[in-house]
Amino acid sequence: MTRRFTLTPYLFLAPALALVATFVIYPIAAVAFYSFTDFDIITAPEWVGTDNYRRLIADPTFWKALTNSAVYLIVTPTIIVLSIMLAIVVNRRLRGISLFRALYFVPAVSGSIAIGISWRWIFERNGLLNSALISMGLLSEPVQWLTDPDYVLPIAMLLTVWAGVGYYAVIFLAGLQNIPDELYDAARIDGCNRFQKHWHVSLPGLRPQIVFVAVISSLAALKVFDEIYVLTNHTGGVLESGTTIVFYLWRQAFVLSNAGYASAIAIALLLATLVFSIGLIRVLERGDAT
Amino acid sequence: MSWYALLLFVAVITVFPFVWMLLTSLKGPTDEIFSVPPQFLPGSPTLDNYSNVLDQLPVPTFFLNSVIVAVAVMVLNVLVAALAAYPLAKLRFFGREAIFYLLLGTIIVPVQLTFIPSFVLAVNVFHYYDTLAALVLPSLASAFNIFLLRQAFRGVPGELIDAARIDGASELRIWWSVLLPIIRPSLAAVAIFTFVTSWNDFLWPSLMLHTRENMTLPVGLVALQGFFSSDFRAIAAGVTMTVVPIIIFFMVFQRHFVRGLSGAVKG
Repeated sequence: MTRRFTLTPYLFLAPALALVATFVIYPIAAVAFYSFTDFDIITAPEWVGTDNYRRLIADPTFWKALTNSAVYLIVTPTIIVLSIMLAIVVNRRLRGISLFRALYFVPAVSGSIAIGISWRWIFERNGLLNSALISMGLLSEPVQWLTDPDYVLPIAMLLTVWAGVGYYAVIFLAGLQNIPDELYDAARIDGCNRFQKHWHVSLPGLRPQIVFVAVISSLAALKVFDEIYVLTNHTGGVLESGTTIVFYLWRQAFVLSNAGYASAIAIALLLATLVFSIGLIRVLERGDAT
Repeated sequence: MSWYALLLFVAVITVFPFVWMLLTSLKGPTDEIFSVPPQFLPGSPTLDNYSNVLDQLPVPTFFLNSVIVAVAVMVLNVLVAALAAYPLAKLRFFGREAIFYLLLGTIIVPVQLTFIPSFVLAVNVFHYYDTLAALVLPSLASAFNIFLLRQAFRGVPGELIDAARIDGASELRIWWSVLLPIIRPSLAAVAIFTFVTSWNDFLWPSLMLHTRENMTLPVGLVALQGFFSSDFRAIAAGVTMTVVPIIIFFMVFQRHFVRGLSGAVKG
């Protein structure tokens, strides 16, 4: 039987496709074009060939930003481990457990700006952290947490982990509740202790969720901006210690009006993300086969 | 018993930054905010910091703007995604696989990459710079949401759709009256995700919104931090003002949030 051609599927798809064409496809092409130009957003772009890319390759700040973004990826396994642990802990029939679950979710709905500002005042030179550590005798002098190049990025990463664990724990919790009890019973009969039980039953059972969270979290880590913006007061940190790729892109495009150069950074980001995604999929698929 | 201790410990870690902000916001001018050892409770509690902030910045307007944008994006984005997901899941037509993989590919693209051309479009083509429309339109297409809803549609038995077709219903009618109600849990999950993402969005709104009265909450908060710079009490009041209503709203509806989020990822 031949398929009758109808417009209907295309009509259903039309709004989404029009929007994607306008706000994703066209911008990719436009950015690719801008990357070969000198452009300040206000006046028309001027063609400069591969100048931006040559400058990019020789730009130490770009490589620092790339390194920082790569380092930032550490948050993903950290979040996965902590979220799974939290999910296991709250997956119990204790009284009032739903109140705790709701509380753990609060950072996820509070927004990265509110969180970032709150944390910034805690890590300030005369903020809560220094005051507490000094009064407990663990420090003799306040530490400049936010202006020390060694601490800025880890603090931003800590913030991301802190804000994300409760959120992802909910996903893992749902996954845990889908694991049949019989598997745990079998493990107990086989003599597994608590740790082995989770290692052999919970973790394999959580595979789909782990894959999902790994992809979502790592793609988000590569694009991190808000935490850096607030913690470094939109400077990117001393010696670019907190500058990530997206932060550098933003600064070049919207602070320094080097939109052409920023477009080259954007293309570099796209390539980096592409390479990373392909790598991640390979790794996850190999795990599937074992 | 020790489980409760652990749960409590994690709870304290989770909320203490906000509690610290709340306490600081209530402190009067004579209460220490930077002392060693830290003083937790305000000795002479006052609401002056709140009135100070409200006098200087239109915080309720920030709220209203965020609500308008988040609701608009949530409703429209989910509709667009649900419309697109149906044929991708259940209909056969030329180009279906190609379109699906094209959409899937756009998930990898970092959204910040599109900001420079989007900025140009906003000013020169759509003329919506410094308006809330600039925050809504670009957020209406989400390949990710389309993907999730396609999964949901695929779980619907084909017989239901065939039966409705035999009864003479148009595809649109089938989509609206038969399928959407069936995938309601997934719709709710996607709607909640989309709302929260829009609510917390900062970078694009900060590029678009210039006038204070048009600012959404995250942008307004940053403006607040800039305006009050070292007045920690005022900043604490501002942050608390924005976070507390969200927390209350969330606590009331948390069962839906949690159910929606956990329903989004199935094995």
